[in-house]
Amino acid sequence: MVKTIEKQKKAAAAEAKGAVKEIHTLRQPTLETLGLGSVLEIFRRGSLPADPAALVDEVFGPPGERGAMVISGANGIVGAGKTMQFASRLQPYGVPLVALDFPGAPDGIGQQYAGLVSAFGKAGADRIMGSVVRLTYDGKSLPSELKAMRPRFLLEAIPEVLEIKRAHYEIFRAAFPGIEIRSVTSGFPASELGVGVAHPAFPHEINKIWEIVEDEPSAVTKLLWALGLIPLPVGDNWSFILDVLFCGIALAGLRYHDATNMPYWKVDKFVRKLLGPNPFRAHDAIGAKGADFLTWSCLHHLAGTYGELFMPTADLVERKDTGQEWYPPNHFRPLVDWKLSDEEHAAFRTWILGPLFQMTSLMLHEKRAHLAHMNAIGELCAQFRKGILAVMRDMGPEAVVETVEAYHRLHPEAKSKASWFPDAVKDMDSPEWQQLYVNAEHDGTVGVVTLSRESYGWEVDAELNRALDWLRAEGIDRVIVTGDFHISTQMVGADTSDFYAALEDLKAGLAITDGWSRTARRLNDEFRTSVAMIPGKRCLGGMLELMVHCHHVVAVEDARLGWPEVGLPVVPGMEGCHWPLRKAPKDSWPRVLEMLLTGKPVAATDAVGWLVDYAGPLEDALTKAWSLAREADGSARPLVEGPLKGAPKEVAGIPEADSPAAEEARKAIVACVGEACSKSLGDALGVSAKLAAEFLAGPACRGGAVGAEYEKTMKV
Amino acid sequence: MSTPDRTRFPSTRIPYGTWGSSYFPAWQTSALAEVNIGQFAGESAARILGLRGVPVSELDYLVLGSTIPWHWKFWTAPLVASCMGNRIPGYHVEQACATGLQAVLAATAEVESGANDVVGVLTFDRTSDSPVGVFPERRAHERTQAIADVWDNFGFDPATGNAMITAAGITARKYKTDRAETDDVAYLRYEQYFQAKASGFLDRVLVPLDVLNVAGKPLGRIDDDKGVRQITRAALAAQRELDTCVTSGTQTHASDGMATLLVTTEGRAKELSPRPEIDIRIVGKAEVRTHPSLMPEAPALAVQKLLDRLGMKMDDVAVAKNHNPFAVNDVVFSKIMGYDWRKMNNTGCSLVWGHPQGPTLTRVLIEALEEAVDLGGGYALIFGCAAGDVGIAALFKVS
Repeated sequence: MVKTIEKQKKAAAAEAKGAVKEIHTLRQPTLETLGLGSVLEIFRRGSLPADPAALVDEVFGPPGERGAMVISGANGIVGAGKTMQFASRLQPYGVPLVALDFPGAPDGIGQQYAGLVSAFGKAGADRIMGSVVRLTYDGKSLPSELKAMRPRFLLEAIPEVLEIKRAHYEIFRAAFPGIEIRSVTSGFPASELGVGVAHPAFPHEINKIWEIVEDEPSAVTKLLWALGLIPLPVGDNWSFILDVLFCGIALAGLRYHDATNMPYWKVDKFVRKLLGPNPFRAHDAIGAKGADFLTWSCLHHLAGTYGELFMPTADLVERKDTGQEWYPPNHFRPLVDWKLSDEEHAAFRTWILGPLFQMTSLMLHEKRAHLAHMNAIGELCAQFRKGILAVMRDMGPEAVVETVEAYHRLHPEAKSKASWFPDAVKDMDSPEWQQLYVNAEHDGTVGVVTLSRESYGWEVDAELNRALDWLRAEGIDRVIVTGDFHISTQMVGADTSDFYAALEDLKAGLAITDGWSRTARRLNDEFRTSVAMIPGKRCLGGMLELMVHCHHVVAVEDARLGWPEVGLPVVPGMEGCHWPLRKAPKDSWPRVLEMLLTGKPVAATDAVGWLVDYAGPLEDALTKAWSLAREADGSARPLVEGPLKGAPKEVAGIPEADSPAAEEARKAIVACVGEACSKSLGDALGVSAKLAAEFLAGPACRGGAVGAEYEKTMKV
Repeated sequence: MSTPDRTRFPSTRIPYGTWGSSYFPAWQTSALAEVNIGQFAGESAARILGLRGVPVSELDYLVLGSTIPWHWKFWTAPLVASCMGNRIPGYHVEQACATGLQAVLAATAEVESGANDVVGVLTFDRTSDSPVGVFPERRAHERTQAIADVWDNFGFDPATGNAMITAAGITARKYKTDRAETDDVAYLRYEQYFQAKASGFLDRVLVPLDVLNVAGKPLGRIDDDKGVRQITRAALAAQRELDTCVTSGTQTHASDGMATLLVTTEGRAKELSPRPEIDIRIVGKAEVRTHPSLMPEAPALAVQKLLDRLGMKMDDVAVAKNHNPFAVNDVVFSKIMGYDWRKMNNTGCSLVWGHPQGPTLTRVLIEALEEAVDLGGGYALIFGCAAGDVGIAALFKVS
């Protein structure tokens, strides 16, 4: 196998040197915005487009001359989180990290130790903490020890006061000419700061998203990507996309409160039901004192540029000074509930969606980012169940414009040519709007479908179908399905919020299980060769069901594969109860059933031969996937199309289910396996879809995690 | 022919339709038995004002009225204002059963004096589990004494040593009231209440409210004057007399609840009201204190004083409505004022829907103003008794 891979690598290298076929894309790959090319080029090259070691050398200097990274304001919420994120990633490269703050600043870094231990173990945590050098300064002159550390990159995380920030950069530039500086500011444009922006998202210890403002993709930005972070280039405007959305939805809630008296906690519940975020709880969770100020600051500056649409309300103005929390204290938990009549609910939608749509029209008009980025930022950083563009696309341009106009009737001062651009929302039929989560590329022979969303839902399903349609229309009959190597770093399964309707309506469940299964089957039925390439650390649930429909499954060696549905409990509804058995040798059937009944994942390397076809290091896996797609030699494991005889009904030695609901799910899964396997491939889809949908609408599912999430979110 | 302008408060208005009250469930019959009533009142006021289209941010002052101690009452109006969602100043007034009207008059003084423009009146009480009070008294042989606030005070007026029910009996004997007539009064009052309820009139005044427990789950819905049941004339006659002309059917009962309205300037009233063409003025007020243990006659004497001062007669009044803890009150009022009790309390009264003390006269006032609007305007007379043999009366003009 190793020799084969080497041969394939050489062939790929030779091809790359030769006449390179032009790459066609359904829409621009997001990697291009980082100067990192397309996903197809990654497969063609058999390697990633940026090497972290080389970029560390470029940013921090070569080994022996390594300079330090400095994070100023390192004990704050942002600074401490980012200190941990960078220290854990740069420590293996020998880059020291200087955490700089005032002498009296409360210790934010020490608090991170427990989290480090749980993520890296004690030895790892000690090693990471050991690479952090904590220095203090008086705000005017830098500590003398800093010089010996040779600072090469400053990440500034000090308070949001423009003059203070500018003075801070001058001190560093005077002491260390040529130092790279990025600000974590959430509101000030790079043009005002005089430095680039790298704006991270909460929670800062674990969120990988960074909004990047710079003229051209820099080595620093590419390094972030190479270290496993997610830099998203955005325009240089007052407040970036995340803060327009986060502060904007909070402002929408504030205005609704002002108009109706509904308390913030209840506004939160209705906003969460409508869109996903609970902005007031988020402010309290981040820390009201800082978050209230930041939200006010962003809105204040946005209002100065764009007008009343962004004007902070009196409550926010007061709280930016007081830092008072939005939710009542524990001893004063809310007493009087609020319900909305249909008419009131319509008004509520207008008060919330109207300003958000208007703000988004502004960002679209200003071309602040790739549309997939703009959409993803809401989901990955601001709790949106669906990104704001997906929400608008669902409604259609006419309804979006009507909503904003209705909002203007409620809040006439918000109507302004400086902030409302109806034309910017009208082009929803374009590929940029239509493919927010799924893209496709091809070189005339092989197509690559890239998934930018970690969970599978209706939006992904529709976009995947459009991507497959496009490839077929382009005459492509070989396809690789994979992640986007950018926004999506893993594949976690179905978006369970799309199951809500199915909990109360069997037809809604059937639409999911039948419809999504039919989409997955297209990978088997409509292409001469299809290859699933699992590039990340896990592929679970519905995503794994989708991927195993491909003729070949390739995975990086440390990927974990599993069907955790039983724990929710849910019955796998995208043919997970029979398709993998039809592709697996009979002696491996118990292993498939064990995965389904226990929810325990398996390592990709342990699943070779019965669930995956190849598992290896990333570069080898890329090469293998590319060669399988190109060669299309019919070497795929066979798919049994007739009834399967002897499908297992139990697995010896597995632990007991940990709840009655999980036991119910096990029974339902076994029944589904038995029923679906007893049918031909043609009939099995209907059987498995029906049984999975019935379980979704049953008491066990409603009483489980999905039902609880539904009750909490939707029963307001 | 224009009518003379008699109002003593020319600058002050009550904006029509910006008011509301909770239902008044009888004590221990609803979720209100479980709550901090100050918090409930604040949050409910926000809800009611929201339903009426009035942002709480429009208020710049708050006058509270309540009579029964509640947890954290030390913080009074500012705390309740915080629960309402607008951190404004204010204070608390208390005058037993006159509280609900006195709070409106206190708010009137705020506006009339130019101190504030939009004053919220928020009255409430929870008789359920009325708190135990501890009153250190250095001269007493008991250094501390625990009392059940509502029941012990109903049963004992420290100034006279008599219970309130005794005062009703004493007054009934003074005016030689007839048991049958008091039963007739009570029977009519129930009929009036249920007719108003069936007609939908009360839906304009009363707002259903959903109460949550500490976990945020439903604790109960306050959507009825629980404890109020249809009653027959025969059943009233069959009831045992507890004192002269006083039976369980001819006296009120303890209940829980809140009520709120706004008091403001003429200009702001037009801005805040959904029907700015309706003008509601506060014309005048009067209070008297009568002889010990003659509390039920005090309201009539207050009305007499008020009308005399204004140069008016009962015939000038379009709507008469009172707090009547005893049917005796209405009979005595008729005897003193020569006014047929059948013309009063057309939409119900506290004899029927109970007596949470603080908000009682606020609800009476709101119902009276709605009734006057239905009549096309006119004077609305509000009156009632208060502990300590006090009577209070106020006149409002709806045009």
